Amino acid sequence: MGKSFDIGLILDFIPKLLGYVHVTFLILAGAILIGIVIGFLVALPRLYRIPVLAQIAAVYVSFIRGTPILIQLFLIYYGLPELLKLVSIDISQWSSMFFVIVTYGLSIGGLFSEVIRAAVTSVERGQTEAAYSIGMSPFVAFIRIVLPQSFAIALPNLANLIIAYMKDTSLAFSIGVMDMTGRGQTLGTTTSHFLEVYISLAVIYYLVCILLESIFSRMEKRVSRYERKFG
Amino acid sequence: MIQLRNIRKTYGKHSVLNGINITVEKGDVIAILGPSGSGKTTLLRCINFLEHPNEGEITIGEVAVDCKHASKKDVLALRRKTAMVFQHYNLFKHKTVLQNVMEGLTVVQKMPAEEAREISLLMLAKVGLTHKADSYPSQLSGGQQQRVGIARALALNPEVILFDEPTSSLDPELVGEVLTVIQNIAQEGVTMIVVTHEMGFARDISNHIVFMEEGRIIEEGKPQDIFNAPKEERTKQFFKRFTNEWSYSI
Repeated sequence: MGKSFDIGLILDFIPKLLGYVHVTFLILAGAILIGIVIGFLVALPRLYRIPVLAQIAAVYVSFIRGTPILIQLFLIYYGLPELLKLVSIDISQWSSMFFVIVTYGLSIGGLFSEVIRAAVTSVERGQTEAAYSIGMSPFVAFIRIVLPQSFAIALPNLANLIIAYMKDTSLAFSIGVMDMTGRGQTLGTTTSHFLEVYISLAVIYYLVCILLESIFSRMEKRVSRYERKFG
Repeated sequence: MIQLRNIRKTYGKHSVLNGINITVEKGDVIAILGPSGSGKTTLLRCINFLEHPNEGEITIGEVAVDCKHASKKDVLALRRKTAMVFQHYNLFKHKTVLQNVMEGLTVVQKMPAEEAREISLLMLAKVGLTHKADSYPSQLSGGQQQRVGIARALALNPEVILFDEPTSSLDPELVGEVLTVIQNIAQEGVTMIVVTHEMGFARDISNHIVFMEEGRIIEEGKPQDIFNAPKEERTKQFFKRFTNEWSYSI
């Protein structure tokens, strides 16, 4: 057990922990970038019903959904170097930050793909036909007509996933990344005031969450302005 | 000039078009009539390859395409000679009315934005929607959306505009405004192929009527001949109900 509760320490801890908030954002930004690429790579074979690849994509999504992110993190952290050893690439000395970003990217990408798939199919086929009828190629029609509307449709779900993964970045310290939670661990150990540390962390994660929510809600208003009946 | 030669289309074992031949001269307005499931919409969609015909030859101006061996380039070439007005309008929902009309000009024809804008505003004036240029499709009535669809097709200045049941999903009250717009542009000499269930409209607007059933052309000719003196038994039967309605309404 720690020392007796001291509420004043929270005000002392919050700025110390906030000094590491950029790590959370860095993991999240890296994961989103990788996630978008993976999301499309996994969604496209299923959208265009490409045999074999579509089945592989389905298994991938099901695996990501069905396993805890902590286990995925360890699988990549220990597994990826072993795998690359087979082709004589040594990444065992790379920073744990790299493994965290790769894991979160692969993981969020699997879930992104489902959102992308649903959003792309929800843009009526008729609009694509209209784009073809005025002479657009399938690629241009996808980029100019389908994609912007899918993005508007997908955004609320993407935002939920991103916020959920933001909270899950608190597991990164378990492979040694010094983020807010990691710093909180050491702070708790040195001061023996664990409860105050976790209250501080809860406050910070909650505030980051609210910040993200307000950013996304502004984006949603902007990208879906064409749906308003009277504007 | 537009020529369709021996157009055939099958879905699996089911044959939808059994060798259709149609010739359309510049300025012609062709109405394709027939009962539901006769293949008229499929035929129209074969002309711009929204449906891929299995066999036949399509010629529009200098572009001649053998349907069986049509390449992506052939398909694009045909689509750039034609424009289509859809039953469900199919406007680009994330773009304003003006952007909808400009899209084909700037993106496909690579026209400078200023010029495209001028042409598009002109087309919107023709369909009476200049004041809605900055609205989004969701803010318009069905009739207004369809008029934007017509402006979008007109702007491309195509060899032919294909109308796929342009009034079938409209409230009866809104049908009139769309038909009037189509009639006006027909009088300007725009070549059109129209699939419709509006018999009176087909008779008034077209100079040639094609009657189809089960993927075949049963009879074709001038509107007054088809409506007043059809030769084929099936055509008589089909138009009898209509001419009856017509005489009641007078």
